[in-house]
Amino acid sequence: MSAAVLSVRDLHIGFGGVKVLEGIDLEVRRGEIRGLIGPNGAGKTTLLNVICGIHRPQQGDIVLNGTSVVGRKPSAIARLGLGRTFQTSQLFRGMTVLENMMTGLHRQTHTGLISAGLDLKRRRREEAQMEKAALDALAFVGMSEFADRPATALSFGQQRVVEIARTLIGEPAVVLMDEPAVGLSANRLTELDALLRRIRDQKGVTLILIEHVIRLVMDVCDQVTVLSSGRCIADGPPEAVRNDRNVIEAYLGKELRARHQAS
Amino acid sequence: MTPFSRRNVLLALLAAAILLPPFANVYQLFVANLIVIYVLLAIGLNILVGYAGQLAFANAAMFGIGAYATGLLQVQLGWSFWAAFPCGALIAAVVGLALSLPALRLSGLYLALSTLAFAQATQWVFLHWESVTFGAGGFKTPPLSFAPLPVDKPLGLYYLSLALAVALFLFAHNLVASRVGRAFVAVRDGEVAAESLGVDLLRTKALAFGISGFYAGVAGGLYSAMLNFVAPEGFDLFQMVLHKAMIVVGGLGSVVGSVLGAGVIIVLLEVLRAFKGLQEIVFGALLVVFVLFMRGGLIAVIKRHVRGWEEPLRLVQPPPTRPEAAPAQAQAPASVAER
Repeated sequence: MSAAVLSVRDLHIGFGGVKVLEGIDLEVRRGEIRGLIGPNGAGKTTLLNVICGIHRPQQGDIVLNGTSVVGRKPSAIARLGLGRTFQTSQLFRGMTVLENMMTGLHRQTHTGLISAGLDLKRRRREEAQMEKAALDALAFVGMSEFADRPATALSFGQQRVVEIARTLIGEPAVVLMDEPAVGLSANRLTELDALLRRIRDQKGVTLILIEHVIRLVMDVCDQVTVLSSGRCIADGPPEAVRNDRNVIEAYLGKELRARHQAS
Repeated sequence: MTPFSRRNVLLALLAAAILLPPFANVYQLFVANLIVIYVLLAIGLNILVGYAGQLAFANAAMFGIGAYATGLLQVQLGWSFWAAFPCGALIAAVVGLALSLPALRLSGLYLALSTLAFAQATQWVFLHWESVTFGAGGFKTPPLSFAPLPVDKPLGLYYLSLALAVALFLFAHNLVASRVGRAFVAVRDGEVAAESLGVDLLRTKALAFGISGFYAGVAGGLYSAMLNFVAPEGFDLFQMVLHKAMIVVGGLGSVVGSVLGAGVIIVLLEVLRAFKGLQEIVFGALLVVFVLFMRGGLIAVIKRHVRGWEEPLRLVQPPPTRPEAAPAQAQAPASVAER
């Protein structure tokens, strides 16, 4: 367990009397791809939002790289090495693709007000380094030729890939991805599958995916955690989870489970 | 070749501004100085509204605070202009920093309202704290002299304003194309995404408010010296509308647009003086035309038609309907990359 890069312990959160998460435990090892699945309303996105600091849990602890992140601001947690991508494209609309990528380097760079405004040599050097790093990161996801396009000129799927690259360029230890496959065609799904593996293998980044596209989850994830009604109902390798009776019940209901097994 | 590139046009404008005084009468030099002061105001406000996306209505109040602080430090404490002026600008910057605190919790119309309330409170202080501010009648500032230099006050002040405007233009121009400027735009275009990349919202907003306060404070100090007089009505709501008009007409999210907007609006106001009573009507009509038909302002038109006006960070207007929900996007042609 010492290899856990992210651990969530006994996490509780509710909104105005509605309990959304009730005692979630999660241990994610360095370098794994973890799937987080569950029916609608299970609390997956809430869990993501709690981990990255948007919501504060009422009880429990979240430890990232040995540091407790509960109560910290989202930007501070990001600086500790947590990246995330969103369900809908969150590229900055007023920037080019390259500028978006350079913004991803915010936490590793240091140019402040004075050296930026006076255009000091230090700033120019850093700016040039950022540009090079941004181009390299775009090359990694195969989007180099789009560097100078406005972010809004990209297709939906392209924006998603750039957003993943923008998160990776900040060299996070863990990346939370909220439904990266939503709206992608079968071909693009295969590309995403390959990209996620390359991220894990070449960058050594730990990925946590919330995903409804079960094919992707079963294919790419090392471990799968299933949430239902705010609780963890199963946790293990994809094959084991797929046949777990609690999981089938949560997705299909009791009666259907019987039919599912009969057939 | 691009003879009308942004750099060439700006250099030509600067050359014209430097060479203007011998050919200008007292009134024309006054208007030119006014334009330069408004360039400062418009750039500062555009950094806050156009780049950082904070819909604040306190710029006229900052302008007033700069003017009052510069004037009162001279009148009440006997400081010289050269000490009072930088202090006045710094005071306005500090007030701007303080204003960023509500901005962390409020956005959009709520931020607009709270900053508007602040502006009205500032007016009230100017009007009613009579023992310090001299109330509604205002006060005269001591005559300014550029003693060792062989220039009279209007000329000296014009060149001082111009030098500061050029310096602060360049500062803003560098700033918006830097890591700091990108943080501003990131906060404007998506606070949650910006935070997820490690951009600190409070710090970034505070910086934008502080910078715009500083620019307005510098402009206020120069304005008080130009008029030799400070009174509350110079910093009222109409003043605020004027600043907003400049950045809308010039182009939100463009430093050069701020310069053009300030120039166009001031010249227009002066020309319209000839048509008594029509001034406000024509001015209002112009604003409506810009809001309806030229959403990106003058700068957008120029960028479309003149080569060499590209800027690193552009303000892209959101499309009329924004796909918020995932299902709506799922229907869109889904493809990772049309290569």
